[in-house]
Amino acid sequence: MISTDQNFFQLFDLAAHFEIDGDALDVRYHELQNETHPDRFSSGTEQEKMRAVQLNSYLNEAYTTLKSPLQRAGYLLKLQDVEIDTVSQQDLGMDLLLEQMQLREKIAELPDDDSALPELETMKKDVLSKLQQQREKFAAGYSAGTIDVAKRIFHEMQFLHKLLSEIEDGEEHRLGY
Amino acid sequence: MALLQISEPGGKPAKPAHRLAVGIDLGTTNSLVSASCGGKIEILPDDDGTYLLPSVVRYKADGEIVVGSEAKQSATEDPGNTIASVKRWLGKSQAEIAANDHAARYRFDPDREQHAPALVTAGGSKDPIQVSADILRSLVDRAEACLNGKLEGAVITVPAYFNDAQRQQTKDAAQLAGVKVLRLLNEPTAAAVAYGLDSQEQGTVVVFDLGGGTFDVSLLSLRQGVFEVLATGGDTALGGDDFDQLLADYLRERIDKQASDEASELVALHQYANQLKHGLGENDSVDIDFHGYQGSLSRAEFADICQPLVKRTINTCRRVLRDAGKTIEDIDNIVLVGGATRMPVIRDAVADYFGKPPLTDIDPDKAVAVGAGIQADVLIGNKSSDDFLLLDVNPLSLGIETMGELVEKIIPRNTTIPVAKAQEFTTFKDGQTAMSLHVVQGERELVSDCRSLARFDLRGIPPMVAGAAKIRVTFQVDADGLLSVIAEELSTGSKSEIQIKPSYGLDAGTIEQMLQASHEHASEDRDIRALREAQVEAQQIIDAIYAAIDADGELLEESEKATIEAAIAELQTAMQESKPIRIQELSEELNRLSGDFAARRMDLHIRSLQGESIDSVEPIGK
Repeated sequence: MISTDQNFFQLFDLAAHFEIDGDALDVRYHELQNETHPDRFSSGTEQEKMRAVQLNSYLNEAYTTLKSPLQRAGYLLKLQDVEIDTVSQQDLGMDLLLEQMQLREKIAELPDDDSALPELETMKKDVLSKLQQQREKFAAGYSAGTIDVAKRIFHEMQFLHKLLSEIEDGEEHRLGY
Repeated sequence: MALLQISEPGGKPAKPAHRLAVGIDLGTTNSLVSASCGGKIEILPDDDGTYLLPSVVRYKADGEIVVGSEAKQSATEDPGNTIASVKRWLGKSQAEIAANDHAARYRFDPDREQHAPALVTAGGSKDPIQVSADILRSLVDRAEACLNGKLEGAVITVPAYFNDAQRQQTKDAAQLAGVKVLRLLNEPTAAAVAYGLDSQEQGTVVVFDLGGGTFDVSLLSLRQGVFEVLATGGDTALGGDDFDQLLADYLRERIDKQASDEASELVALHQYANQLKHGLGENDSVDIDFHGYQGSLSRAEFADICQPLVKRTINTCRRVLRDAGKTIEDIDNIVLVGGATRMPVIRDAVADYFGKPPLTDIDPDKAVAVGAGIQADVLIGNKSSDDFLLLDVNPLSLGIETMGELVEKIIPRNTTIPVAKAQEFTTFKDGQTAMSLHVVQGERELVSDCRSLARFDLRGIPPMVAGAAKIRVTFQVDADGLLSVIAEELSTGSKSEIQIKPSYGLDAGTIEQMLQASHEHASEDRDIRALREAQVEAQQIIDAIYAAIDADGELLEESEKATIEAAIAELQTAMQESKPIRIQELSEELNRLSGDFAARRMDLHIRSLQGESIDSVEPIGK
């Protein structure tokens, strides 16, 4: 039986790397769901039910964290005792900050109707490809043990995610959603 | 010669008896109940062979509660006492209910705003929980008659997009109806189970569920018996009713307005609009003939009228795809559920958006109930659960209020449940011993735009310098999608723990009280019998005492006699007022008061039997 003392990677029998086998994660997730889901204890004692809810909640948190590349990166840093909830300007390159500001301004200046959609689509593709590059950089930095590099890339990924969701909000807004 | 059957040592024990559990689709317009019959899930019919129970309840002045088609038919003659579409009001405040057009014909009880707003009916004030409980009870009665036994539990379906208050009140209604809830199951998930197990389909499926009053879209991955909801979205105030309403408004503009402001007229117009809508399901155009107004309505015109509603449903589909991280190309099939998806205008819009026609081979009315029945059979332990597992999500983000009335999200929407998230808080003033937490549900940034779930104070924090106290608050959402909050004080090492349930549901005391009231009501015949018995018994006691006073009145002091006579008079009043419990109490009181008298008479008669003269007997005891 799994336990909440195991870290998320141990829970899924995975090595603590950024690159993981997504299919193996899914398969193990379903196995563990079968073992721990509260529905499996519907005729159990109150104590068994409560334990199932706790274990299963932990499993769900673990799966969600490892499934998302951004959250997985953050979790790996936490396992190394790196503080990721705060970020200082020195952690980030000045170039990145400037680029982010320019992109945000660009979104804000786009026309407020569907004529802006092609431009938003281009920006979205651009951000997605940058995210992919950052993921590769993070994997390399983390496995090389350069944790400060990995932390910086993690924060850059956070920025890109924020930008992506702003672009998508802009699209929805212009589509009348 | 018959061989004795001997089981293998350590083999499986004999199969336990089949336990009765049902799936209930508690719908806005219609409700259904299903159960496992011979290994297959069947929808249970009423005595007339009808499956759909209209979710309409009429409360009569004599206390009779009429549920279903009879109540629905009486809606025009008795609109104020006939409650329909009550599901839309679960978890809502009086102001929210009053804002809806449907509520125009009802009056609210000013004394019953505290827990859930109540409507005044001839049969007393009824809140949405009570009305829902009456519908549930009718379904349970039907199931118990059909299955010939007592139910041990039920899976009740709720719209996936129901918030915590709406879920809690559904559960309260079940408790009030005396039903054990095995699970609150999201409607589109239930439909996916019915569809998935039937078709053995694997892949990514969208369930588009437009019912009478609620709308849900869920995106599921179906893989080897695991039904995993990836994202869900919806609108708990959008359904077939709203299409009727739009059409009724359209008609009303064309009909003499003088005639259409009466409550019964509004109901009639609404019902007429509903008929037209159904007519357009089969024909390209329908004739209108209502109160002297004549005309026609085509599908295209109807589509125009409903355009704003249709657009809202498609917007929701897009949001769900985005939340699940899927594109239209990833979707293998679209399953339509809910009676309102029979409208061609909906089918066309869905086909258009997803670029492929939706599946229409399952019965949109029954799929949800069938799925609930399957889950009930598994949870009660009749069916092996090895080949079947449901993973669902919370539909709305949970957050807490922070500085500046902003919401900080703790658990984002579409997180697989059950889920627990812990957050640590600290004090911001020296010596601070209490802090307030405000939990909200919703997607907006401002607290005022979200639904308030619970406000509570954490007290007894040891006074320390600002920032030194450490309070861990854990937000737990269970498999029913219901929230509880646990707070622990960590800094002192002593882990004090409190558990808070959001407060809009009924508290246990209120439920008990209402349960008692409902039992008294449900067993009216028994009450009448109890009254008769109490009255007869009381009369016997009174007669016996009068006879004893006639015979041996001298054994009583004047004051004793007066007390007994006063007690008799009080008992006679209670008998006239038909209060069985009061009659019993007073009868016992009278028995006690006359106890000494009876004892003295007993002594007297024993002594007289022993041959002593009555004159030599002194009254005993003062």
